[in-house]
Amino acid sequence: MKIKSLTLKGIRGVRNTLSLDLNKRSILIFGDNGSGKSTISDSVEWFYSDSIEHISSEEIEKRGKGAIRNIFIDSGDDAYVDIKFSDCSFDAIKSIDNSAKTYNTNETKDFKEYIEISQAERLILRYSQLVEFIIATKKQKLDKLQEIIGFSEVGNIRDLLRKIGGKIKRNIKSEQFDNQKSTKQSTLIENLGKPTYSTKEFIDACNELIKPLNLNQSIKTVADVNNIIKAIEEKDDNKVSSLINFYGRVSETMKLVKENLDQEYINYHNYYELFSSFQNEPEKIVKLSELNLLEEGIKILKKEIFKEDKCPLCEQTISKIDLIRKLTARLDDLSELSAEKEIIDDKASDLRSALQNNHEKIRSLLTEKLLSEAEASAFKELIQDIENNLKTFKDELNKDISNSEPLKALTLIKIESNKIEFLIELSQKKVDELLENQKKNLRLQIYTRLFRSNDAFRDYRKIEKRHEILLKQQNTFESLFSDFILRQEEAINTFLDLFSHDINDFYCIMNPSEKVQNIKLVPLKDRSTDELLGITIEYDFFDTRTTQPIAYLSESHINCLGLSFFLASVKAFNKRNHFFILDDVVSSYDRSHRTRFAKLLIDKFNDDYQIILLTHEQEFFELVSSSIVSKGWLVDEIGWNKDDGTFAKKALIDYKSQIEDKITKRDKSELGNLIRKYLERQLKSVAYNLDCKVSFRFNNLNEKRMAPELLDSIQTTLTKHSKELSEKARIIEFKGIPSFIANTTSHDNTFQESFEDLEVFWEETINFIKVFYCNSCNRFISISNIDKVNKKINCGCPNLTYKWKI
Amino acid sequence: MADKIKSGKDVIDAFFAEILNVPNLHEKTVQKLIALYSTGKLTETNLQNALDKIIEEELTLMENEDEN
Repeated sequence: MKIKSLTLKGIRGVRNTLSLDLNKRSILIFGDNGSGKSTISDSVEWFYSDSIEHISSEEIEKRGKGAIRNIFIDSGDDAYVDIKFSDCSFDAIKSIDNSAKTYNTNETKDFKEYIEISQAERLILRYSQLVEFIIATKKQKLDKLQEIIGFSEVGNIRDLLRKIGGKIKRNIKSEQFDNQKSTKQSTLIENLGKPTYSTKEFIDACNELIKPLNLNQSIKTVADVNNIIKAIEEKDDNKVSSLINFYGRVSETMKLVKENLDQEYINYHNYYELFSSFQNEPEKIVKLSELNLLEEGIKILKKEIFKEDKCPLCEQTISKIDLIRKLTARLDDLSELSAEKEIIDDKASDLRSALQNNHEKIRSLLTEKLLSEAEASAFKELIQDIENNLKTFKDELNKDISNSEPLKALTLIKIESNKIEFLIELSQKKVDELLENQKKNLRLQIYTRLFRSNDAFRDYRKIEKRHEILLKQQNTFESLFSDFILRQEEAINTFLDLFSHDINDFYCIMNPSEKVQNIKLVPLKDRSTDELLGITIEYDFFDTRTTQPIAYLSESHINCLGLSFFLASVKAFNKRNHFFILDDVVSSYDRSHRTRFAKLLIDKFNDDYQIILLTHEQEFFELVSSSIVSKGWLVDEIGWNKDDGTFAKKALIDYKSQIEDKITKRDKSELGNLIRKYLERQLKSVAYNLDCKVSFRFNNLNEKRMAPELLDSIQTTLTKHSKELSEKARIIEFKGIPSFIANTTSHDNTFQESFEDLEVFWEETINFIKVFYCNSCNRFISISNIDKVNKKINCGCPNLTYKWKI
Repeated sequence: MADKIKSGKDVIDAFFAEILNVPNLHEKTVQKLIALYSTGKLTETNLQNALDKIIEEELTLMENEDEN
């Protein structure tokens, strides 16, 4: 899919209309800073993803939608992005009204599918994103790469399998099943005289218990126990048994809580040691605060909330990329501390969960109906007291380690064991008293024992079953996780091998014969779990293998890596869309890299991809525009004014076609100015390539040099270095033609140009430029192509060569 | 290059297609996992609820067996 035309109205910086008639061709667009170039990339991003990431961070709720409409348009005015594609069935106009509601003219299923697929493709690279990957931490690199290659969901599934497996494991630990089962077995021993683990053992023991009653029926199934209970039950039996059961339950629960707490005290002690030792090292606390600050700082810098190249805290001038790079390196240095804190946090979390289980058991006791009766008020008070103690214990685990408040020692929060023991004793006493009253009544005694055993065994079975299933689930998730990470690793390794090859290829085109070679993305694994932890970049630096791009490479080289990474992603993943936008990435390169950057795009992407290249660098624009036009590119320029917002100017490079069109139509209007502008731009390229000297001027004025000054400078250079070229160029004669003079003398000149004069002026201009420009390789002769041995200058190929005195 | 590598979706689909070949798994848990994935509802909450439901169902089944 390529773009035929892109029209914006009332969007971002565009107040009226901005139209790019691309017809599937690549385009280079020049616009000064603030002219609204990014409106083009913003519009395309919004068209595909329904939000604009770099403004979403400032407008989280509306995902940046509030800033999509141009702020100067009226509430009823149209605001839309109209894209026509190479396949017209996907043409669509996406509009947004004043309430940020969006509409799309294309509602077909195919279009929706196309948009969904496109969201996973790499369509836009902004300057701010250029080095994101290169300077990220190893883990961030893995996450970012997974996001780009559509592996985010793989990462999500992997995390889900691990998280659920871990959660089940912690549940098993915190539920302390062995304690629960042992408590139920105690009740069974108390009532049946022996432990009963299986249904058969339970049934046999129950039959033994009821033997003295000489009933005509025996127990064959667990359900039969209920039937026997009902059969031997007399009036008020249930009330007494429920009472015994209640006190028995209090005793059981408290025994369980006591046993659990004994383990939890050991765990708390370990946690306390780690927590206190961490807190006792002030350096760690400072670093922890630094860690939080760095994480937050990087997050904010990446969101582009601060636009200026300075540190938002100390206001020191520093490039944003450098700042993120430095912060990320510091974050990497603190990774051990981060891991240590994670271990302490995990211990608190496990302990909290175990205490929560006990808390719930006690709370469940407090809901017992019998507890609200007057005779149980002492019990209620005691249970509530224990519950409050448990709550205080739990609250201690919420303390922030970076805070100076220390953790209370175990002795200060430990629930007094005599409180629990007293409650156990008291409830057991109640049970004994109630049983004592039944001593003379064998039937009632058997009834009560059977009643309590029945409940205890059923509970035991449930606990056992729950434990068994949880263990199976834990095992299942651990096995699935192991299987999944193997698959993930295999797929990523295959990808990394192929992907690294492209990155290396692109990087080397931009940096030929340099010290960096054999770039490779390498996965990093956890030695103990074999899990993929991150990705690092390896390369040969002066023939030594290293992994630190940030340490050894210049900003331009790191930017080259970033661009290579993006282009490799485009090649790998843009299956539907054969276009991409590079928004102002050029400014990150020094002069030598800019030319190679253009070469890389043309050599590797021009045939298969439509490129929308946005730049505010006039030098780059002028340097490459003529060569890319010969490769079929369009060249355009945009500007900004208050009435229209961002608008398309006449494209400089199109002067040639406009001039030729006017000559064909014998249209004289503006023809002279167009030829003069064309000439000026070409002269700048000649002067640039021959390193002609002109007098110093400040930046803006420097760009406004007129043709006579440039011609004088070129003439001086040619006189000094090449008689052959000087004679061929005939600069003095060229400067003498009437139409040229018309420009130099400006409005004081009384010469009236005829169409024929302009036709001659154009012909002379073309012939003049031909002296310096090679139509075979589309390059100007340049001092970078001087043959010192033969004392010649050429364009880079043998077709345009002159003698050159050094 | 794009043809040689597996997309994230390819990796996940293959995993779920071959999940039952992994030895010693709890079948009901795996079936639930597959069902959630194939209906596009595989989230942590949904999975946790499904796992809790499996336990409840198994306990109910055990109780019913005891009663009959």
